[in-house]
Amino acid sequence: MSEILNTLMQDARVWQGHQHTWTTQSAEPTGYQVLDNQLGGIGWPRGALSECLLDEPGIGELHLLLPLMQRLSHSGKTVFWLNPPHTPYAPALAREGVNLDQVVLINTEDEGDFLWTLENCLRSPVTGLVMAWPGKLAARKIRRLQLAAEAGSNVCVLFRERRYAEQNSPAALRLELAPGGQQDLRINVLKRRGSWPGQRCSLAMDHRADLAFQEAPRVVQGPWSGRAG
Amino acid sequence: MLWLYLHFPHLLLDHIRRSRESQGALAVVEGSGQKVIQACPEARAQGVRAGMRLRTAISLVPELGMVRADQQQEARILEDQARWLYRYAAHIVLVPPDGVLAEVGSLQRLYGGLAAVWQTVEQGLNERQLNAWIAIGHTPLAARLIARTGKGECTADKGHILRTLGQMSLLAAEFDDKTRARLQRIGLNTLSEVLALPPNELARRLSPETLAHVQKIQGNRADPQTPWQPPHYFRQQADFVQEIEQSQGLLFPLQRILSELEEDLCWRQQDTDSLFLILRHRHEEPTRLRIRTSGPEHRAEAFLNLIRLRLEQHPLRAPVTSLVLSVKRFLGREATTGQDLLGETQDLNEAWHTLISRLQARLGDSALRQLSPQADHRPERAWSASEVLRRHNIRLPDYTQLPRRPLWLLKGPQPLTETPPEWFSGPERISGGWWDGQRVHRDYYIAQLSTGQLAWVFRDVRDDWFVHGWFG
Repeated sequence: MSEILNTLMQDARVWQGHQHTWTTQSAEPTGYQVLDNQLGGIGWPRGALSECLLDEPGIGELHLLLPLMQRLSHSGKTVFWLNPPHTPYAPALAREGVNLDQVVLINTEDEGDFLWTLENCLRSPVTGLVMAWPGKLAARKIRRLQLAAEAGSNVCVLFRERRYAEQNSPAALRLELAPGGQQDLRINVLKRRGSWPGQRCSLAMDHRADLAFQEAPRVVQGPWSGRAG
Repeated sequence: MLWLYLHFPHLLLDHIRRSRESQGALAVVEGSGQKVIQACPEARAQGVRAGMRLRTAISLVPELGMVRADQQQEARILEDQARWLYRYAAHIVLVPPDGVLAEVGSLQRLYGGLAAVWQTVEQGLNERQLNAWIAIGHTPLAARLIARTGKGECTADKGHILRTLGQMSLLAAEFDDKTRARLQRIGLNTLSEVLALPPNELARRLSPETLAHVQKIQGNRADPQTPWQPPHYFRQQADFVQEIEQSQGLLFPLQRILSELEEDLCWRQQDTDSLFLILRHRHEEPTRLRIRTSGPEHRAEAFLNLIRLRLEQHPLRAPVTSLVLSVKRFLGREATTGQDLLGETQDLNEAWHTLISRLQARLGDSALRQLSPQADHRPERAWSASEVLRRHNIRLPDYTQLPRRPLWLLKGPQPLTETPPEWFSGPERISGGWWDGQRVHRDYYIAQLSTGQLAWVFRDVRDDWFVHGWFG
């Protein structure tokens, strides 16, 4: 009996629990200690796709990436914005300490160009971070992007709608973002490579509009006459 | 002084053959299209000869490729040859339609002997797949005559050169028909017999011009040559016998031209950042393409990749009969900035330029933008987008004094469709633009919408409410 067991143990097809080693994937800290803790103390994975799933802009999703943008743009790495839904506002970025010389904005016309551009950016050693708003994208195409991301060692964040949370995705990290009650950002970790998902945390984002020093929410009753538009 | 003469027996043929991938029989036909002037070895093997009527040639080789001789084109191709030869010799003279003369006496010490000079030139010819008959003479005319008979030898011995010349027939010595007839009537058949005549008799009995010709061969009379100067640009042309319909077919001739460009740039110690590519069609206006790199570049590989991308994006409008690649803008090569001990800076710089050039070639120059803040109070004018440039600002300006603004700015203000449940700050009055007619007079507030979005909203002078940005 033990002989059979021994031969089984030596079989490469048998996976043994105690041999499991933690994958040491390289990563960039997010700059938010609370979130880093939830992500196993590492942060944004490098050389892999990350996804942020959210419904509407303006809930603090850019501030989530701002510490990374600041750090990378000052270390000589380029930050690409690919097909952003609105204009990244240069004075605000400059005020937050992002080196705008390292920020490149790209707009593509069709999906073919989008994928091609993203792949090229991901494979280049000059890229630090790519933020992309792909719109509709088939799972097959995301797989292709994941392979391109593995070829490089930079952070790539795709911003997609929350309804894609149901679909599976080859991305290494998937975060569901939702606004909280106190202008904070609620994060639900949907997927994390090499570990269990399901962590939740909330990041204070009131500094993005300098609201911290006010006794929020202070209702400004003044000009508003109850009539909109 | 010693002169080296290159005689190209079928230059046009060589020029066309090297831009072709397939090697089929080829012939050059005279302007009126009646006779074959030159035939390539494949055509000669099948019986086509120079001087043959075109109809006969076609019946011998039905798939014969034909090129019509064009003087302008020949002159241009000859100049191409002078350009590469200029790398080896300083004093070059063009002898249209098919010869190039170079002064080599002064090069002997540089190359270490005449044999080395000869070898260098031969190697250059082989690299370019050119056929040429080379000869050395003590006068320009002597070198030319020997080269055209194909009896050139690598020697500086004047006696030997004169002996070779002496055996030459009067026809080969390039006397005109009338002089030749008179000389033959006197009973002279070779050049040595003419050279032996006393000069004053020659001038008296024949003509002073004949004496001048003979003395120029011998070297007793000055034969000044105007040196050729290389142009300050690069231009190469490839002509096709069969029209090229697929852009893929252009890459083969382009590869050769680009490697010549790389060689040329290396030799000039310069870089370039823009190439002009002209594709000529039979019945349509030529297609003009401008290929730009984002930084100085000289590698053929990089240029070819950019052109390939460009051609993939823009399919050919019509079949191409010839292509011209020219470079007029040259940039001095920067010395490598040795900031990094491991040379990493240089690599990254290069990778950056490669990436941006690739993206621009496929997406167009206007698809890539860089942002910068502008000094204006109006939010839509407080930023600008510009072309992508590699900038190295060591000291960044201090922007922390700027007012708090949202990270997202909408492309234009959107009407506010709901009453925001929460208001945070405001009003911040922005009023400006009276100086340029783009008047802005607004009160800005920060408010949270019912969806949880933090918005930058304003009320204008007509009491209408708009969203202008999101605090992303």
